[in-house]
Amino acid sequence: MKRVLEGSQAVAEAVRLSRVAVISAYPITPQTHIVETLSDFCAQGKMNARFLRVESEHSALASLIGAATTGVRAFTATSGQGLALMHEVLHWTSGARLPIVMAEVNRALAPGWNIWIDQTDSLAQRDTGWIQFYCESGQEVLDTVIQSYRLGEEVNMPVMVVLDAFFLSHTYEPVDVPEQEEVDRFLPPFVPKFKADPAAPCAFGPLVPPAAYMEMRHSMAQAMEEALRCYPAMEEAFEGLFGRRYGMVEAVHCEGSDIVLVTTGTVTSTCRQVLEELRGKGEKVGLLKLRMFRPFPTDEIRRHLGGAKKVAVIDRNFSFGASGIFAQEIRAALCNEPGHPPVFGFVAGIGGRDVTADTLKGIYEHVKAKESPDRESVWVGLQEVRNEA
Amino acid sequence: MEKRNDTAKTSLLILPRTFTSTEANKTGSWRYLRPRYEEKTSPCSNACPAGEDIARIEMLAEEGLFKEAWETILRENPFPAICGRVCFHPCEGRCNRKEFDEAVAIHQIERFLADTARKNDSKPVIVGRNEKRPEKIAIAGAGPAGLAAAYFLTRLGYGCEIFEAREEAGGILRWGIPPYRLPLDVLQAEIARIQDLGIPIRTGTPLGPSFLSEARGKYAAVFLGCGHSRPRGLGIPGEDLEGVEEGLPFLASIRRGDMPKISGPVAVVGGGNSAVDVARSVARLGGESWILYRRRREDMPAFETEILQALEEGVKIRELLAPVRLERKNGRFVFTLQPMRVDGKDVDGRGRIVPDGDVETMEFAKVFKAIGEEAGEDWYRPPAEDRDVLRLSNCTVSMKPGLPVLVYGGDLAASLKSVVHAVASAKEGAIALDILFREGRENLSGGLLKCRVGEGPSLSMEIHLGGPRGRRSSHIVSYSEINADYFQMAPRITQPRLLPEERLKGFDEIDLRISANLAIREAGRCFNCGLCNQCDNCFLFCPDMSIHRGEGGTDRWIDYDYCKGCGLCAAECPRNAMVLEEEKGS
Amino acid sequence: MKLEVLDREYMYPGHVACPGCGAAIAMRFLLKTLGEKVIMVLPACCWSVIAGPYPQSTLKIPVIHSAFETGGAVATGVRAALDIQGDTETMVVTWAGDGGTFDIGFQALSGAVERNENFIYVCYDNEAYMNTGVQRSSSTPYGAWTTTTPGREWKKMRKKNIVEALVAHRIPYAATANIAFPEDLVTKVKKARDTKGSRFLHIFATCPTGWRIPSEMSVRIARMAVQTNIFPLYEVEDGVRYTINYKPKEFPVKEYFHLQGRFQHLTDEDLDHIQDMVNEDWQLLLRKAGERTP
Repeated sequence: MKRVLEGSQAVAEAVRLSRVAVISAYPITPQTHIVETLSDFCAQGKMNARFLRVESEHSALASLIGAATTGVRAFTATSGQGLALMHEVLHWTSGARLPIVMAEVNRALAPGWNIWIDQTDSLAQRDTGWIQFYCESGQEVLDTVIQSYRLGEEVNMPVMVVLDAFFLSHTYEPVDVPEQEEVDRFLPPFVPKFKADPAAPCAFGPLVPPAAYMEMRHSMAQAMEEALRCYPAMEEAFEGLFGRRYGMVEAVHCEGSDIVLVTTGTVTSTCRQVLEELRGKGEKVGLLKLRMFRPFPTDEIRRHLGGAKKVAVIDRNFSFGASGIFAQEIRAALCNEPGHPPVFGFVAGIGGRDVTADTLKGIYEHVKAKESPDRESVWVGLQEVRNEA
Repeated sequence: MEKRNDTAKTSLLILPRTFTSTEANKTGSWRYLRPRYEEKTSPCSNACPAGEDIARIEMLAEEGLFKEAWETILRENPFPAICGRVCFHPCEGRCNRKEFDEAVAIHQIERFLADTARKNDSKPVIVGRNEKRPEKIAIAGAGPAGLAAAYFLTRLGYGCEIFEAREEAGGILRWGIPPYRLPLDVLQAEIARIQDLGIPIRTGTPLGPSFLSEARGKYAAVFLGCGHSRPRGLGIPGEDLEGVEEGLPFLASIRRGDMPKISGPVAVVGGGNSAVDVARSVARLGGESWILYRRRREDMPAFETEILQALEEGVKIRELLAPVRLERKNGRFVFTLQPMRVDGKDVDGRGRIVPDGDVETMEFAKVFKAIGEEAGEDWYRPPAEDRDVLRLSNCTVSMKPGLPVLVYGGDLAASLKSVVHAVASAKEGAIALDILFREGRENLSGGLLKCRVGEGPSLSMEIHLGGPRGRRSSHIVSYSEINADYFQMAPRITQPRLLPEERLKGFDEIDLRISANLAIREAGRCFNCGLCNQCDNCFLFCPDMSIHRGEGGTDRWIDYDYCKGCGLCAAECPRNAMVLEEEKGS
Repeated sequence: MKLEVLDREYMYPGHVACPGCGAAIAMRFLLKTLGEKVIMVLPACCWSVIAGPYPQSTLKIPVIHSAFETGGAVATGVRAALDIQGDTETMVVTWAGDGGTFDIGFQALSGAVERNENFIYVCYDNEAYMNTGVQRSSSTPYGAWTTTTPGREWKKMRKKNIVEALVAHRIPYAATANIAFPEDLVTKVKKARDTKGSRFLHIFATCPTGWRIPSEMSVRIARMAVQTNIFPLYEVEDGVRYTINYKPKEFPVKEYFHLQGRFQHLTDEDLDHIQDMVNEDWQLLLRKAGERTP
């Protein structure tokens, strides 16, 4: 049934439909609408779940470690500072192989205080062993949360579903909310592969000596590869039931295009418009939407970008002292391909600044005008700052 | 619905999750100190001339196992009901509890156990040797020493026969201790239990000196426990005047039931238990008792409690007064007495007394001499030590050729004249004979050493019979070795006793029975020095689960595979029943 | 002594606790009282090591090792998961050291107790960061040497009163206990077991290694802490009803300090000062318990 929902509400509906048993969260703008909606669901009995109103994000995820180890489906949501505080526990979750799902609303990191979109918070957690999806729409958010439980539980890895602050979390769109029975068909009840049980006692997460630790880490690496392998079948099943599919990446007119723009999140929607406009003018331009960031779909990226003459990556994030993080990753994915295209990196929309159609067109013109990038990253739309000191 | 969680994928899951126990780690290899169970000797049992296993007795009593506790006394002493009453309980003087609050009232518990057994008509299981020995043993005298010797020897498998000159058995217990201290029925019950072992007591059968040589064919040994019955004189003029009586015959007449009427002031000369007994008996018969003693009161050999009770009953004591002469004037005795004073010390450590000023006189209606006795016949006396005569702690063994082995016991040879010393000498004599007959003369000293309670001289029949007590170390537990944190201050019970005015009305026993509750509480005060009472501290405080208990929690052992030697078990043992030693070879 | 506990062991031997470890004794008492229907949350502490290196476990109950500061939070999640699965029988117990309780884990503990999460939180207190090599914690007592309070820099601050901090949350049950008083400890574990909501047990657990005492003195020192009023045994119900469980003879504190290597530098004046502080705390406790004070 189509309903007009905020992105945050779409997350909450998906959590409800996934029959999550324990939710634990600490409020932070712009994640608050997610936890408020879920609190309501629990209070009204729309969900049979425990909502833990813990005293910090660290405790939110830590409590889910307890819940998931005790054998239930678990969910949390956070943003920016909250995710940074969770950092230690993010590692713990993946190391403990707990398929917890988190909605992470991208928010800029302080100081100064900034509650608006910036992807650095989630990208800073790329090495914590979480699967990451970057979503473009309310529908995609809803679908991705449901898919995340299935994928995460299959490979025993946690999943972060990332959405843009306000542009997605607080934006109302029509969303097709599936029926519970349909979702149940796609996502059966959680059957944990292990759990804390007095009838079969063992210790989880003990001291692990060098003789054994490396194999556990390798097992996590394999699980990420397994997630890449499982993904198509999972999405096929999803499409069979719901008629929607997203792909690890989405390639729009990549084939035969000279220049391919790479985007994530809501910028992609703006880019789709720009693409139509430019192609209408005869420009050979394509778009690659990067949806799955961890595990990184290297093969897909090579396949869709390998034929382009130039690639332009738009990053709403930055790794200080290096470049935009997506650009880095795409360069790394392409570098071993013979004759791969040059990758232009653009940093735009940091801290909630708009990335408009004009911004994107400007980027296109810049790339078109150059043979190869002058430097790794170009910061787009910087204003002159008068230094008061 | 698709099948999920299939095994092929699960195989990828290498988790930080445990699947085995820590038992593979033999942490015992860390150990450099090794704890070990080792029961030790309690000071009370060492102080008891009869070597009673007091720490065990109190443990059993505390658990309400009164019969077992009583039987434990009987292993070492045939007279719990008697010793519970008349023994001077040296055990209590060495009680470690004294350092904490007050000594345990061991003798009261002993009496309680014996009285309870009698009240319940309990038949004790008396531990002894099963096989009978061919040697027969004659026992001269049915006093405490003779009776006890028969008791021990019978348990060791020897046929015994007791010869008693008087008309009834009991000796000093029968004739020399007033009924208010030891009621007749109590004595008779104890003697009856010995007779029940099948020991004939030939009363009214005095033996002459020729008996020793005549006995040779029939008896392999003779135990002489004839006691001291010949009074020692004062050696002053007038001591043989008519009406000047000896103490012991007076006490015997009371024992027979004579209750002569006595009035007026009565002098009792002496400072021993008999003197006090006479004085107190006189008081009960209506007389005004004066104990005249030539030394100080603290030098009196009588037991302190007896003296105190005598004073309560109105007996007066004049100390430092030596008898000079007795005269009779106007139907009264005029006693001339020399006041004395202490000047330096005698060889025995008591104050040396010397005359102090002019003599004084006192007038009395009656005079009793009670300064002690000596052996009744010369042939009772043990011979001087030589190649064939061995003086032991409390008896003398003569192995002269041509005679049966002679054991001089009881007052004839004991280090101190007391009932419990009589028992000690009987036990020593019995064990000595047993070793002689079974292992030969050359093993006598060594054999006796093995039965010592702690460092001796008290001996244990249980140890001699190979009982578990023999596994204890001879180390005597001191107070500093007790973990006093496990004990609460608790006052010693006070002996319920007749009021002095009630006592003076007759010869009823003055110490009253205590209740089982009181006895249990008092026994619970015992530290049980050196013994394991299964308190579980070692087990509970072991951080390494290395103390194991057998079925019913009685047996304990240490799993040295895992014991790290932290020593907590030994340190937290309240009663020093464990030791911690350096690990050998580490 | 006879303890009213299960005649079963819930610990395997072969664990790697130091000889005489008070924390090992405390765990043993706890589990022998609670039995096997327990899921234990174990934030970083000595017991993270004692519990056994992979693939070994020394406990016969399920254990969830957790990050240092998460004792209160992880237990919250375990309880929620059990409840939602209809398992109200299995108890959730967090077992943490003083660092994980007084310091880094205090926030999560406070949060859990404020929410009145239905679990037992046990702090075995060995008065410093022992697992990492004897560094000072806010539980380290005044006067103590640690590797981070060496020489003249010995700790000059009082030990944090953690029970009072929890009492301020109106926790349904908070109690102190001590390995040297197993009967009291077991009684309190049972009381905690039978109470609903958050329950806190503060167990004094000697560390022979860190306190610089011979291992066999472990229990004795613990006992002395109670006998001297340094660590009184008491309990508080619903944050208001105080009961002092053991009235010691109030031995002077001196011997307790003299016996331990960590206090060797203290002068008589220092000990007098400590005695004053101990007296003051005891009087304060007596007043709270409504007991007569001199």
